[in-house]
Amino acid sequence: MIGLSDYLIVAACLFSLGVIGLFLNRKNVITILMCIELILLAVNINFVAFSHYLQDINGQIFVFFVLTVAASEVAVGLAILVAFYRTRRSIDVEDINTLQG
Amino acid sequence: MANVTLPFPFPQHLELILPEMIIAVMAMALLMWDIFLPKSKKNWIAYATIATCMVTAYATILLTPAASMTTFYGYFVMDPFASFAKLLMLVATVFAVILSLDYMKDEEYLGEYYCLMLFALLGMMLMVSSNNFVTMYLGLELMALSVYVLVGYQRDVLRSSEAALKYFILGALSSGMLLYGITFLYGVTTSFDFATIGTRLVDANDSAHGVVMLGMVFVLAGLAFKVSIAPFHMWTPDTYEGAPTPVTAFISVAPKVAGFVVFMRVLHDVLPAVQADYTMILVFLAALSIIIGNVAAIAQRNIKRMLAYSTIGHVGFVLLGLIAANEAGYAGALVYLTVYLFMNMGVFAIIILMRRDGIQGELLDDFSGLSKVRPGYALAMGLLLFSLAGIPFLGGFWAKYVVIMAAIEADHLYLAILAIIFSVVGCFYYLRVIKYMYFDDARVDFNFIESSLMKIAVAVTAVAVTVIGLYPDPVIQICKQALVGLI
Repeated sequence: MIGLSDYLIVAACLFSLGVIGLFLNRKNVITILMCIELILLAVNINFVAFSHYLQDINGQIFVFFVLTVAASEVAVGLAILVAFYRTRRSIDVEDINTLQG
Repeated sequence: MANVTLPFPFPQHLELILPEMIIAVMAMALLMWDIFLPKSKKNWIAYATIATCMVTAYATILLTPAASMTTFYGYFVMDPFASFAKLLMLVATVFAVILSLDYMKDEEYLGEYYCLMLFALLGMMLMVSSNNFVTMYLGLELMALSVYVLVGYQRDVLRSSEAALKYFILGALSSGMLLYGITFLYGVTTSFDFATIGTRLVDANDSAHGVVMLGMVFVLAGLAFKVSIAPFHMWTPDTYEGAPTPVTAFISVAPKVAGFVVFMRVLHDVLPAVQADYTMILVFLAALSIIIGNVAAIAQRNIKRMLAYSTIGHVGFVLLGLIAANEAGYAGALVYLTVYLFMNMGVFAIIILMRRDGIQGELLDDFSGLSKVRPGYALAMGLLLFSLAGIPFLGGFWAKYVVIMAAIEADHLYLAILAIIFSVVGCFYYLRVIKYMYFDDARVDFNFIESSLMKIAVAVTAVAVTVIGLYPDPVIQICKQALVGLI
């Protein structure tokens, strides 16, 4: 029997993977966008697991809002990335270094 | 339309969202109007934006109820607290639009620029009117997404897109953390409503304490990101420096107001059950913010970057009011945000005026000799900087005074002492700008592009901090009355 805590552990693993990937990633920005998506999906698993466990539909409704916002968030993120690429000609994380101090 | 039966009761008091409706409709209408306007008349969009903000402010004042009223089945709340915050944000938006008039006039797609500002404003107005995590999250994201685009608005300028990219990555992370925290609070209480969560957390049994702590920490971290409290401030200096200056002015004030209002609602309504725990965390965050903000600002040569660190210091002071968690503290935080609005808008207006033939006007050196060429601007800048430094008797002094007194009342004497010490440290970098303006010789010619609206904006902010400094009581009283709905 898969219980609530199992789902929460999976979500926690995904969330940690997302956050760790965000900070340790030295390759390129697309990976960062994937990590952000991973974080939001971990949140969704949490919501659905709690929602089912508590027999309360509100959590699942929130998931739809999170999904919608995540989609638009990635759209904006990619647009910014394209604008950045046009001037910098690179999407490597190491090249995001003009602003320092 | 004969007797249509809805599957749900029609929401009561829909008129309460009229201000938001005006903003939403006008933002979309202006976007359409922009297509038909010739390039030379794009400024009309800006004037229409200002008019929209004024009408909305009037509607907000008219609709403010004496006590809390909700609509949309309790998902949207209107009270004097929300109204006050909305007025602050509307004023901030008007200032930001005035600041943009000259700065942005050579940019393409001006219509979108002002509409994005309105959408950001709409998101913030929803945020401050939320008493529910769903509404709060949606408002927050509407604000955040619009602001990311505004920051990266100068697409052909590398530092602008880079600033947007950094802001986007860390902003998305903070939203994720906030949501992750919300899931745990939901798991314990089966609700998204602030007040319901609050009461159920009080009754929650001890075995859930760990989960509540987890939720609380993540929610606080997510909100701290949004208002750039150290150690979640990494995005602030880069974003402030890279963003177009009017956008910097906008994001240094309006989202902070919205963020802190939500912060206050969450602390007061959702988390009273764990007040001892969150106070401990907030004391740490406030101390760190005040120290990092004021010390790191000393090393900056770029004034926008310096003001970013000064913002981090100032949000630490606002946090003092939230830590006190009493009427004086919350009112103090509102006073601080009000005064801060005028101080920052004024300083950024003058930074924009310093932009001249080929010079960004953002380095401290660029201010050399301003007093000899333009004593008026130098005086206004001097007043604003003295006010930011908290010199008596200007607005900034009373702002610091009320929050520090509130912190002392709430038995946080050491934190208050620390705040006072570091506000003295902070004087150094504000006064350094004044030294450049008054005691150095100009290295480059001043060649101002100034519109009368900009002059008015500078004058209004300088007069406002002086008047609030001389007569602080009305502002403090208004802020106390504005707490109806929170307390």
